Amino acid sequence: MKPSRVRGEASAEWRSFLRKPAAVFFTFVFPAILVALFAVVVGAGSGFFEEPQGYYFAGYLGFVVLLTPLSRLSSTVARGRDRRRFEKLATTPLTRAEWLTAHVAVNGGLILAASGLIALLLVAVGGASLTLSLVSVVVTAASVLIASAGFCGLGALIGRAVSSQDGAIAVSNGVGFPMLFLADTFVAPDTLGVGAPVVELLPLTYFSRTVRGATFTGGSGAELVTSLALLTVFSAFLFAAGAYALPWHE
Amino acid sequence: MEQVEADGLRKTYGETVAVDGVSFSVDAGEVFALVGPNGAGKTTLVRCLTGTARPADGEARLLGTSPEQTDEARVSLLPQEFTPPERLTPDELIGYYASLYPDDETRDTDALVDEMGLSDAVDTRYGDLSGGQKSRLKVAVSLVNDPDVIFLDEPTTGIDPEGREDVWRVVERLADEGTAVFLTTHYMREVERLADRVALIDDGKLVEVGKTDDVIRKHAGEPRLVVRTVGSAEEAIEGFDATVEGDELVFEGVGVDGIGDALDALDGAGVGYDEVRWREPGLEEAYLHLTGEV
Repeated sequence: MKPSRVRGEASAEWRSFLRKPAAVFFTFVFPAILVALFAVVVGAGSGFFEEPQGYYFAGYLGFVVLLTPLSRLSSTVARGRDRRRFEKLATTPLTRAEWLTAHVAVNGGLILAASGLIALLLVAVGGASLTLSLVSVVVTAASVLIASAGFCGLGALIGRAVSSQDGAIAVSNGVGFPMLFLADTFVAPDTLGVGAPVVELLPLTYFSRTVRGATFTGGSGAELVTSLALLTVFSAFLFAAGAYALPWHE
Repeated sequence: MEQVEADGLRKTYGETVAVDGVSFSVDAGEVFALVGPNGAGKTTLVRCLTGTARPADGEARLLGTSPEQTDEARVSLLPQEFTPPERLTPDELIGYYASLYPDDETRDTDALVDEMGLSDAVDTRYGDLSGGQKSRLKVAVSLVNDPDVIFLDEPTTGIDPEGREDVWRVVERLADEGTAVFLTTHYMREVERLADRVALIDDGKLVEVGKTDDVIRKHAGEPRLVVRTVGSAEEAIEGFDATVEGDELVFEGVGVDGIGDALDALDGAGVGYDEVRWREPGLEEAYLHLTGEV
């Protein structure tokens, strides 16, 4: 893997992102609106949302960590295939793993920034109480980056499988939203009934447990390491599968 | 030295045979043009040669090895209908593609921008460029690695005459410097201007490969001198080796040097005429003949 090639691809993607106002809006403003709305609902302590605000921090981050890479990567891959960009790249020294690494770097950075914004809003607007320590910040940041890598891979897989950009967004939402609510984020697994066993099979579950353990419930070191390790295994698999699926060749 | 070789290449998609037993080679410094109707297999052949598609049978070789093992820094492809990231400027796009190659193998970005006539548009995003500027920029990003072999899949489609001339000059310079150029196009004038050799593909098969002039001579037919007579062409034809088409006399095989003699003979015979047309057939006629469209 050559850093200069990853840097070149990441730089082009970053510039393209900054010049697309809708992408900036949905990456930063949309999650902020979501947090503000949920803060009011959770603050009322009604219905499903009976836990304190801090409990749902993992869910808010999960929303961004899951749906941002899924929708962005799946549409980027579908668009790149339609516009013959991968055919061009396939005849350059850039490899598929380098391309995906560059997009993980950009999306991971964006999601990390959005996560910081969510944490600030949750504390400032929602009055949440979050654990703030070097360990909690490092573990949360690592979880965000590792999960972003995995979900970028899943986004690439979706982009490869669908035939259009519109289809990519639709499938991303179809995969993302059920996963979001089954993955121990907003809804406790023991309330899911027959759906409960699925929880353990979802990578987002281990993301939310790691983040919640680090920032709210005070999980033990062993618990954090275990859930982070499982998240890493899932992400490594999804990244490898996503890189392999990039339409470099017919 | 042969830079591109195809030996019995065959590519199928289900029951459809896209490329069927194609063999040829392209030398260093040669411009090799591939022409053919839409859907004839041109782009599929380019994909097989560049390694972006795997042939079902036969062998493709690029710079003496398989396309998958070729040093990518020495090869370039401009795919048909390629669209680079729309929000980047020409400078940024050329810089982006240059960053994918080793530093010592890339060309100077500013010089490329100048050469392709894009100096006035360096701050304009790709999506806001004119059609001609877009086409020139796409060619420019294909030249960033100063390739030994370049595949240009319909590089001048939708481009204005001035832009086309710029691209042609670049292709001529590349060939002069020893680059093997594989060009697909629908513009016969482009082939006549640039190509050392031309191949015509139809239904996945090469129906002719040869030097451009030879293909024209062999398949385009003879030059024609057409004279519209003032009186009856049927009466005027007597004593001349010509045919009658309506009110015109048609002389086949009259070269540019023979026009004067033919008209002198008509004058001598007292045949009046009010219009004379002469046409030397080109690749267009050869193409139509070979594809069975005439």
